[in-house]
Amino acid sequence: MLGKQTRRYGTLSLALVMAFAIYLMPAFVTDAMAKEAYAGQAFAEEAFAKEVLAEEAAAEGEGEPEIEWGQDVFYKDWEGNPLKGPVSGHPAPELGESDYNNYEFAPSRMILWMANQQHLYFGSFVLAVPIFCMLIEFIGIRTKEEDPIMSAKYDRLAHDLMKVSLTAYSWTAILGGILLFTFITLFPGFFKYMAGIFRPVMHVYALMFLAESGVLYVYYYGWDKMSADPFLKWIHCSLSVLLNLIGTVLMYLANSWATFMQAPGGIDEQGRFLGNIWHVIHSTLWNPVGVHRILGNIVFGGGIVGAYAAYHYLTAKTEEERAHYDWVCYVAMFICIFGLIPLPFAGYWLMKEVYAFRQQMGITLMGGIMAWLFIIQAVMIGLLFFGANSYLHNGMSRVKGAHRYMKYAKYMILLLIVCFTMWMTPHTIVMTPAELKAMGGAQHPIVGHFGVMSAKNTAVNLMITTTVLCFLLYQKANKKITVPWQTIGNCWLTAIFIGAAINIIFLGVYGYFLPANVRVGLSVPQVTTTLTTLFVGTAINISMFKDSESYGEIQWGTQSKVGTYAIFLLAISFTWLMGLMGYIRSAVRLFWHVTEVVRDNSVDAYTLTIGEAGKMLTFNTLFVWTQFVVVFWVASLTVKKGAAQEPEAVPVPAQQQQ
Amino acid sequence: MNKTFISFVVFVVTMLVFHNVVFPIMNIKEFSWVMNPYVYYLLIPITLIFINITLRLKPPVSLIALMVWVLGFYFYKYVLYPPIPWTLFITYMVMWSIGTFLYVSQDANTFREFRSPIVKTIIGEYKIARIVLFALLPVLVGWMTYQSIYPTFQEPVELRTVHPAPPATTKVHGKTWVLETSRNPYRVDEQDNYKNSFPFLDADKNEYMKNVTEGGSLFFQNCHYCHGDQLNGIGMFSHVFNPTPANFIDPGTIAMLRESFIFWRVAKGGPGLPNESTPWSSAMPPWEEHLSTEEMWKIILFEYWYTGWHPRTFDTEESYVGQWEKEGKPGGAH
Repeated sequence: MLGKQTRRYGTLSLALVMAFAIYLMPAFVTDAMAKEAYAGQAFAEEAFAKEVLAEEAAAEGEGEPEIEWGQDVFYKDWEGNPLKGPVSGHPAPELGESDYNNYEFAPSRMILWMANQQHLYFGSFVLAVPIFCMLIEFIGIRTKEEDPIMSAKYDRLAHDLMKVSLTAYSWTAILGGILLFTFITLFPGFFKYMAGIFRPVMHVYALMFLAESGVLYVYYYGWDKMSADPFLKWIHCSLSVLLNLIGTVLMYLANSWATFMQAPGGIDEQGRFLGNIWHVIHSTLWNPVGVHRILGNIVFGGGIVGAYAAYHYLTAKTEEERAHYDWVCYVAMFICIFGLIPLPFAGYWLMKEVYAFRQQMGITLMGGIMAWLFIIQAVMIGLLFFGANSYLHNGMSRVKGAHRYMKYAKYMILLLIVCFTMWMTPHTIVMTPAELKAMGGAQHPIVGHFGVMSAKNTAVNLMITTTVLCFLLYQKANKKITVPWQTIGNCWLTAIFIGAAINIIFLGVYGYFLPANVRVGLSVPQVTTTLTTLFVGTAINISMFKDSESYGEIQWGTQSKVGTYAIFLLAISFTWLMGLMGYIRSAVRLFWHVTEVVRDNSVDAYTLTIGEAGKMLTFNTLFVWTQFVVVFWVASLTVKKGAAQEPEAVPVPAQQQQ
Repeated sequence: MNKTFISFVVFVVTMLVFHNVVFPIMNIKEFSWVMNPYVYYLLIPITLIFINITLRLKPPVSLIALMVWVLGFYFYKYVLYPPIPWTLFITYMVMWSIGTFLYVSQDANTFREFRSPIVKTIIGEYKIARIVLFALLPVLVGWMTYQSIYPTFQEPVELRTVHPAPPATTKVHGKTWVLETSRNPYRVDEQDNYKNSFPFLDADKNEYMKNVTEGGSLFFQNCHYCHGDQLNGIGMFSHVFNPTPANFIDPGTIAMLRESFIFWRVAKGGPGLPNESTPWSSAMPPWEEHLSTEEMWKIILFEYWYTGWHPRTFDTEESYVGQWEKEGKPGGAH
């Protein structure tokens, strides 16, 4: 029995690690493939160019050369010279007054922003839910033999989530249509240029949408039929993998438009397409944006499902309902936090690529006109970690045996607060001249050191490591470890965390004494250290549960209200944060539609004040949550109908069973 | 006597004694490892914990929360030196308050215990507390109103951005410089190779130190009045400027930037700052009107040499050696 216990944990961890590996794979594979393809491409193009030039030379005197060659604005050949390509498109237009339309009630830019953001929010949700379903269904299948009741419970949860996703899917498509029409009607000149370059991608995108719909319908409507037979059930689960793969491709294709606008490639200085569609898609920010969005989607989806469950938990009338939704909150938060932990690292990667693309863009973001928005972002990220930790503390406190670890909670909170203080201390402080004089200079001799990346990297890595530690303690809260090597295991765990903290702090301090380009590289060992605590720590922790005894099962339905409200905080903060970062990423182009190629000549080509941007973000957040409430309500109409068929038992999830 | 009340009195008395007696003793001008305000601060919670344990007072969660919050307030307001600006103080206190809340709400029991006196005060179980609270509230609101409408004559604060975003190109003395690719033509190698050489002393020994020396001379002729003779932004005129001159010692200034960025800033000064994020209020003159291109590059060379920072480069950039000598023109210019 206890062997099975370990396997259940193993299954869960394996499922999560696999899922992450699968979803991160496209980025790495495409990156690797891109490099190979790039090498091949460069050689092929050079050979092609020579061939064409030879032909032209042979036919000299017989008229103008037929093929015009342009220099790529981004891609370079082996010698570092701009890559050449045959001009295959029209130059970027000089947009004038007639290229922009507007309504009187609101600036076109605001309307487009709203349409775009709402579509992105829903797109993010419908891409996240299949990831959830895939994981949960997989866990359900794997636990079927050991615990059929629990397996059914997982399966039903995945099915219910898919039901909500189905409604949200149509909603997303409608919002996508609205966005498309907004582009065509309000920014026709710009859209014409984009459509000229991305024509084939747009068609493939539409076809992928069709494929996504097809698989989605088979997956959802075939659920009950395919559940009967174990083989068919595996096929059904595989469909979820396919669904996610198509969804990921869809997202990557759509990302290519945004990343092209921000950091174009595959065109010449005049904006003429140079014949290689892969170059246009695979511009420099494509991969980091893709990975960042996948992780962001997971956290966002987890937040929404968690908030939905939290609402039902707080309004539940029966014990059974409370227990069910408490458990759903747990599953959603588990996945959400798992996505949240690597998210900042993906963000760093993205920023590194932005700096490498244009120093100017990086400075505008981190030190220039967008810097204060980044400070707000730091606050929001801090709130996310506070929300996650608050949930974990409250969740842990109701587990029997947790008293052994609850005494450490206050130290973890203190560490979080200290790190958060470092994390969000701005480099340039807002102050009056009198305060400036009192401080003796623009930089404070003590807290001034927190304004640079060395301190911030250290702080965020320590915050994540603390969250990981909290999570490990939560896992072992009700376990009485009996393995003979428990002392060694605990020593290892302690050593890993203390070693990690020392290493992270050492690298952070060391960074102050290094040149900036080397210092940036230090974030890699810092991140590796943090991830080591996550993976090795979890592995050791789980291995120690073998043959463990229980202090008592979790009483689902007893989560404190504060812990439940923390989920709302997390979900709303993340929605706002997503909007904020999307705005920053987009607005950094300043007065360009496509950076340095298509200039924004509309009356809306200005950067909003922080207050105005904040109002817009808040409006978008409120608006999308109103829509989510409607979508969940629509989905609940069918849930109520089928409620009588729900199994009555409230099983204990695998993590807490003995 | 009520143990909670005793604990509260102990807290108040300890704080008063520490602030009025111990603080002046330990906060001496020349900091040492023991005699400094931070060691002093650590002694406060240690003393409080010690007294509470010795007297077995076991203060309730609400009182512990109050103590924790006040200790945070005390640190940021009185201990942290030099005093931090109001905006930062508010930010830190919000964070400290969130931390205190996380502490009291870590589980349902603690939170219940924390809420209990608040609820009892509001519903009237603690009659005197309620009377005092409800009498004090209007006074507090009145005082805050008074504070907010009382006229002050301070210059308003500005949300200043740290680094202006550079343009793609800049034209200096008739030449267009691409900032993305421009290099300091006098930078021959990483400066670590010259760490045992010194400008002025070794100026005649090699070309690099000669250039650094010339840059140093120019710096002290033109720049140090504002940027300071230690390049720390505290020059003799610096105190009259807002924003203050850049502190090159700080890891957040030249250490984070490419040399081409510094060149653009030096050449164009305050008037050449971009339109966004105005008003910049920078008093820096456009040095292209007073110095030659070569002189500006040499000053930049000196600034990096003196501070020990290396100019920012990116992974893909290779080191470059004396481009002017090789190409016969400034690197990146065309």
